[in-house]
Amino acid sequence: MLVRLGFPLGLLLLAALASLIIALGIGSAQLSPGQVWQVVLGHLGDIGQDEGNALARTMVLELRLPRALSAFAVGGLLAVAGALMQVLLRNPLADPYVLGLSGGASIGALAAMLGGLGGLAISGSAFGGALVSTLLVFGLVHGSGSWTPSRLLLTGVVVAAGWGAVITLMLALSPAERLPGMLYWLMGDLSYARAPWSPLLLLLATCVIVMPLGRSLNVLARGPQQAAALGVAVRPLEWCIYIVASLLTAAAVTTAGSIGFVGLVVPHMLRLLLGNDQRLILPACALAGGTLLMLADTLARTMIAPEQLPVGVITALLGVPTFLFLLYRSR
Amino acid sequence: MANKTANQTLFKHRGATGPALLLSRLILSLSMLSGVVSNAVLADDHSRCEMDDRSRKVCLYTPAQRIATLSPGATELTYAAGAGDQVVAVVSYSDYPPEAKDVVSVGSHTRIDLEALVGLAPDLVIGWVTGNPAEQLETLEALGMPVFYIEPRNFEGVASAIERLARLAGTESAGQAVADNFRLRMAELAAQYRDREPVRTFYQVWDEPLMSVNDAHLIGQVIEICGGVNVFGEQARLVPRIDDEAVLAANPEAIVAGGMGEENRHWLTHWEQYSNLTAVADDNLFFVPPSLIQRPTPRLMEGSQILCEKLDIARQRRERD
Amino acid sequence: MSRLVTQDLIINVPGRGDGTALNIAIEPGQVWGVLGPNGAGKTTLLHTLAGLNAPRSGQVLLGEQPLETLSRRQVAQMLGVVFQERLDGFPATVLETALIGRHPYLSPWQMEGADDYAQAEAALERLDVAHLRDRLVSTLSGGERQRVAMATVLTQAPSIWLADEPTNHLDLHHQSAVMALMAQQAAQGSTVMMCLHDLNLAARWCDHLLLLYPSGEACWGARDSMLVPSALERLYHQRLAVVEVEGAPVFVPIKE
Repeated sequence: MLVRLGFPLGLLLLAALASLIIALGIGSAQLSPGQVWQVVLGHLGDIGQDEGNALARTMVLELRLPRALSAFAVGGLLAVAGALMQVLLRNPLADPYVLGLSGGASIGALAAMLGGLGGLAISGSAFGGALVSTLLVFGLVHGSGSWTPSRLLLTGVVVAAGWGAVITLMLALSPAERLPGMLYWLMGDLSYARAPWSPLLLLLATCVIVMPLGRSLNVLARGPQQAAALGVAVRPLEWCIYIVASLLTAAAVTTAGSIGFVGLVVPHMLRLLLGNDQRLILPACALAGGTLLMLADTLARTMIAPEQLPVGVITALLGVPTFLFLLYRSR
Repeated sequence: MANKTANQTLFKHRGATGPALLLSRLILSLSMLSGVVSNAVLADDHSRCEMDDRSRKVCLYTPAQRIATLSPGATELTYAAGAGDQVVAVVSYSDYPPEAKDVVSVGSHTRIDLEALVGLAPDLVIGWVTGNPAEQLETLEALGMPVFYIEPRNFEGVASAIERLARLAGTESAGQAVADNFRLRMAELAAQYRDREPVRTFYQVWDEPLMSVNDAHLIGQVIEICGGVNVFGEQARLVPRIDDEAVLAANPEAIVAGGMGEENRHWLTHWEQYSNLTAVADDNLFFVPPSLIQRPTPRLMEGSQILCEKLDIARQRRERD
Repeated sequence: MSRLVTQDLIINVPGRGDGTALNIAIEPGQVWGVLGPNGAGKTTLLHTLAGLNAPRSGQVLLGEQPLETLSRRQVAQMLGVVFQERLDGFPATVLETALIGRHPYLSPWQMEGADDYAQAEAALERLDVAHLRDRLVSTLSGGERQRVAMATVLTQAPSIWLADEPTNHLDLHHQSAVMALMAQQAAQGSTVMMCLHDLNLAARWCDHLLLLYPSGEACWGARDSMLVPSALERLYHQRLAVVEVEGAPVFVPIKE
């Protein structure tokens, strides 16, 4: 059993490390592998650095490393949130944004940008907007009495559409020079992500918390009545999933804008490859989503350097053919 | 590389041991997070300090030798200040002066390739308040680079920016001359044209969506010194988005447009279908090369000259009728 | 070994009157059949007894304790339900499906052990679907899926079985096999209650019957006292002819 879990997770861990190394080694500045290795060694061994290496240090430790780790965290958070959402709504087409959360976050972030506020305020605003949206959907569904996943889905979709309209309005009314920044945020952008530790910790904590719930999630996926008959406390578990998925998505969107596609496709791909045991799928999503986004971000910042692409474009361009290939092969 | 460390006002690499370095970095990060970056070096005769357009004091120990300009306007202003030889990084569309095209580009003004920029080790970064991404410039400051923000909103602002950049770059004599010349020329134009018969003018910034400017915009101020009356001057937004109907209702005497490129008149031909417009009836459809009037740079003198002359033509055509 | 007792139970069928209050005691070793036409509320009754639906009034006692005071996990360790309709949301293999029957007994951090796997495999064997263990459930026929569902409950090994039309989709051979399984469970001390649409299966295999009328009326008791042709004809709105085969009555619907 442990072998069944351990082998694929081990592979994914190796893939994650490999893509971290790639992310640290590639960039607009041409650093040789030797230089990168020296920086890593120096950082770990805490040797005093000399002048010649100062630039390499800044490049690797101040720019590439935080960005790569943020990419990993955001990718993992989105993939796990997507997997949870798919179990909650019992719908393989659900993604983390389907309940309107990214819309609320976008409104918060865009409002901060319009007000000319800086990076920290934008993140805080985004998180606030995400919370408001989550509570709104929660309140609307809870208040109406009989609660089913399809009701939750419908409410969320409508709320998301509402946020979409407000966002369009904001884009239409904003001064022209602010537009590119706003659009980049909406497309998903890691170009200034510098504080990876909180999303990483959140990802780790989530995996630890969610693992014991894994089998209950497997049972829940067979239907609420079946699950209840097998001893699962269905309603509390569903609310728990909703809150956890919302928190993960809020953290991801706050760090990097609304990056699409990762939350929908990564859980799907993994299910095609690894089956449906959530105890394997959820940590696998964390690793695979993180790896995918790290690679996508590395491409986004180097493909047409010095021009920068929004990473959401790359995830779609990479993800779609891969997914189609897997779908075709699994037939 | 040696110059770079000489100008690292905040982040000093040399000689610090492990824990002290860590502590100073911690204090640095905390001060960054509080959002107030004070670059002030207290009471030091050797430092050159200037106020930027965000009312922050930016100080350097020695004249900037490696300047990064993060907008096409900033590039032009820096060259105008006489510091062209010291520019090591620009962004896309920095096409004037022609020498700027040979300088390494580090992305666009909306998304900068931070790695490329850091790799060029600039000792002064010229940012644009509303146009550059705030978070990326904050990252640069966190890495210890002095960032000087400019945002000229009027003619005096343009001249002042040139002077301040010249002082930071140590090219005071060249820059001062350009700034003074600019002030003189704009005053001359104003004296010549401002008090003439007002000409109702519509300046078209873009065609889809249709955009104009209000009186607070730099171009609006140019219209004013040329003796024009901006038909959309009272609009609340700096760059209002309007439609054809609004233009028809305002019925300007003269329509001035730029166009996508430098030689493109097709925005003006769009108006010819409305034969009732005064501007169309009198054939007052004028083209002013956009880079001469839409950038807050010394070339504004040329653009203003052209605009004033065009409005004068309209004036004469009216008197002829 | 548990008994299931109802006290003045009135099930909640929306839009229908209260009907008869049910006071039934389902004892270990008994095989109960619930008979009635479509829409009489058989499934609702079963779900109410399992604690999945709230009754309109009255209560259900599971082993002397009121059902609503027990946690779902406690209930699941004592009572198993074979549903009539199943969702096929996410793909799963036959073995995985049977294995989830062990869920009520495993703590959150526990993985399924060799014992659990053995139990699941034995259950699959018993229901004659062991050869399908690695197939995806969605690729199976209706009858095979039905047997997998039974295997899941067999893995759960509850002392009370509530089965909703367990012979649906099954061919004659497997129908008999499943009914024999139910009888065997009862003989080993479990309590069994099944909803059946086939009157003759009930007549052959059950020892107690509950008749549910569409109006909400109900009567129950030992099999022989319930198998009164006039009552059955009223139940099904169908004229019946009775024949005796091997000592048991067989009812045949006849044309008017």
